[in-house]
Amino acid sequence: MTTVTLDAAGLTKRFGARTAVDDVSFTAHRGEVLGLLGPNGAGKTTTIRLLTTVLTPTAGEFSVDGVPCSQPTEIRRRVGVLAESAGYPGHQTGRDYLRYHARLFGLARRDAETVATRLLTEVGLAERASSRISTYSRGMRQRLGIARALVNDPSVVFLDEPTLGLDPAGQRQVLGIVRDIAAGRGATVVLSTHTLPEVEEVCTTVLILNGGRVLTVGSVADVTRAVAAAPRSARLRVPFESVDRAADALAGVTGLLVRAVDERPDLLTISMTAVGADLNEALRVVLAAGIPVLSFEVEGARLGDAFAAMTTAGTP
Amino acid sequence: MRARWALVAGVLAALAIPAAAAATPDVTFDQDKVAVVLGDKFTLQTRVTNSGRAPTDLLLAHLNVASLTSDVYVDPEDWSSRRTQELGPLAPGESTTLTWDIQAVNAGRFDIYVVVLPNGAASAGHGPLTVSPPAYVRVAGRRTLDAGGALPVVVVVPVLLGLAAGVSRFRLRRGA
Amino acid sequence: MIAAVHERVGAGENATRAREPGWWLVAGQECRDLWVSGRGPVLIFAFSVLLSVITYLTATNQVLNFLEQREAVNLTLQVAVAVGVLVTLVVSADAVSGERERGTLESLLLTPVSRRGIVLGKLAAALSLWFAAFVVAVPYVWVLGRGVSVVVPALALGLGVGTLLALALAALGLLLSTVSSSNKVSLAVSLFLLLALFAPTQLPTGAPQGWIGDVLVRVNPVAAALHYVSAVLVNGRGWTRDLSYLISPVVLVLLAGGVLVAAAPRIVRLHGGVSGS
Repeated sequence: MTTVTLDAAGLTKRFGARTAVDDVSFTAHRGEVLGLLGPNGAGKTTTIRLLTTVLTPTAGEFSVDGVPCSQPTEIRRRVGVLAESAGYPGHQTGRDYLRYHARLFGLARRDAETVATRLLTEVGLAERASSRISTYSRGMRQRLGIARALVNDPSVVFLDEPTLGLDPAGQRQVLGIVRDIAAGRGATVVLSTHTLPEVEEVCTTVLILNGGRVLTVGSVADVTRAVAAAPRSARLRVPFESVDRAADALAGVTGLLVRAVDERPDLLTISMTAVGADLNEALRVVLAAGIPVLSFEVEGARLGDAFAAMTTAGTP
Repeated sequence: MRARWALVAGVLAALAIPAAAAATPDVTFDQDKVAVVLGDKFTLQTRVTNSGRAPTDLLLAHLNVASLTSDVYVDPEDWSSRRTQELGPLAPGESTTLTWDIQAVNAGRFDIYVVVLPNGAASAGHGPLTVSPPAYVRVAGRRTLDAGGALPVVVVVPVLLGLAAGVSRFRLRRGA
Repeated sequence: MIAAVHERVGAGENATRAREPGWWLVAGQECRDLWVSGRGPVLIFAFSVLLSVITYLTATNQVLNFLEQREAVNLTLQVAVAVGVLVTLVVSADAVSGERERGTLESLLLTPVSRRGIVLGKLAAALSLWFAAFVVAVPYVWVLGRGVSVVVPALALGLGVGTLLALALAALGLLLSTVSSSNKVSLAVSLFLLLALFAPTQLPTGAPQGWIGDVLVRVNPVAAALHYVSAVLVNGRGWTRDLSYLISPVVLVLLAGGVLVAAAPRIVRLHGGVSGS
């Protein structure tokens, strides 16, 4: 049984009459990547700030790596955080910035230098270590923020929207780092994000918040399965020049309605119109016609669908 | 009879004259010449003596400073912060010494003198005044401040600091 | 690729612990930010230009006599103290609220450095401006006061009284910065306070005072401190005679500094103002 590194019980935070986090309880284990999902205003950032001692809970308790919330200084030694709205001192270099924070976490000068250099290499900023942060792109600043979150070799790393504003290449880079943090360092990662494919790709566990309350927590597969209805439609992508042939082939399948997508000439939506129709038959027909299938997605079986269903209904 | 009245009048007159002379003290300084440099502090002492045959009234001694050159403005307040001292009645033959702390705040030639005024209930505001002989004070100038002396500091300090600020800005821009 | 656990040199057991306290590290970085890559050199340069203008005008006054030379030194010293304290206040008023708005405060709050350590470090960095201003003022006071035996007393007075005022106003500025809802509010309130404290010192000295006037001077820490400087430097009074005028600056240091240090764990937080928590 892996060690519990994060344990929250009844965490609540009120700002005046508004309850931002309401009775949140969960645990996370070493090496786990916990995806923290929720619509805007669900309480994700507030939850992270509570667990990292930036805010004080109105009620409830938590512990990090066995250290209770009554010892905030010790908790801070054990967590690393990439905040959503993190700012960086533009006049400092990346190396100076990491070195400073390493020293604030108690490292001597020489060790701080070593850690800063190593982390900059690990996040791919070695060549820009001596450049001022004001010259960094957004992706570089996010990677610098991740490096800063690792400077104290934390047991739990909180990443709040780490891929926000990044291009696809940047997102892939950050997700790779996230994977390595959990696998290579054995740390627990709490990843707050809106990008559901990322969660499916990287997270082992998902916690969905809405209105400050926990809707569900569990593995990605369990959460998806819990709300996935029987699929009733699919999206088929074929080469542009084969769309008409595919539509003709599918026209002969009973119980299926095929429509083109105006803004996507290589995409067809296939809907079931009769009980007993089989979406998989559509795939067999297209393949039998010798048409290359670029993708075939059955809707209603993705995490995004589960998320939308839960946060719209309010309960699983 | 007439001779008797003349004798009484003469005795009364003889008694009255010494009483008027006794009310006026003598005032002298301990030194009549002082030579100092601008800014120096020094002390003058005044001896007030009742050389009459009757006691004096309550007295007030006041120090004054007068410039002997017309182009030097003197504010006596600047020379001494305590320029008025009160004295009790002096018996015939009695003396008292007053000490004056003075600082030479102007350069030039000056007379310092003390005026003693009666300050009793009946005599205040009526005189007579007694003025001491002056103490002649020569203050040598020590002009240490001029534009030429200040110019190096006034120019060099901001130039050096401006260069430092400029270098700092330049390095900041270049480092970016 | 993130390095394997056994290859890391992190904040683990084998790492050498830093001996410096947190506030010292914060002060060091804040000073670097201020002096190497910040406003410090420009502020001090502007300060020196101001002092140069005043000193030059004073030095070219041909009828300057001994007493007026003392007054010239007093004027320069008071300008040095006033402006030095002003820039210290401006820097301290930006210290916490500015970091909030730039988004860099959160990363500082996430370190093991205590909230008290953070404010003490920022206070020390703000005070560095005052000491730099004083050092710059030294040659000006020297050139004005040489020959009238007033340089050493003037510098001692300036250092002692100026440091007291700078400490008081820096603590006050930092307190305002910590509790203000925005940086604009913090700077505006601080500057207004500064003007309110300095304005009475510009009233003509011949204005009728009476005991009310004396009380108003004594209660105002800036007016009281500058009055003390003038009394010793220009009026030639002893050091101890008017020492009671320094009571209000000392009280302000103890009050503002005390509240700042005692309440730091509660008021140094991510959001300022009433709603922050």
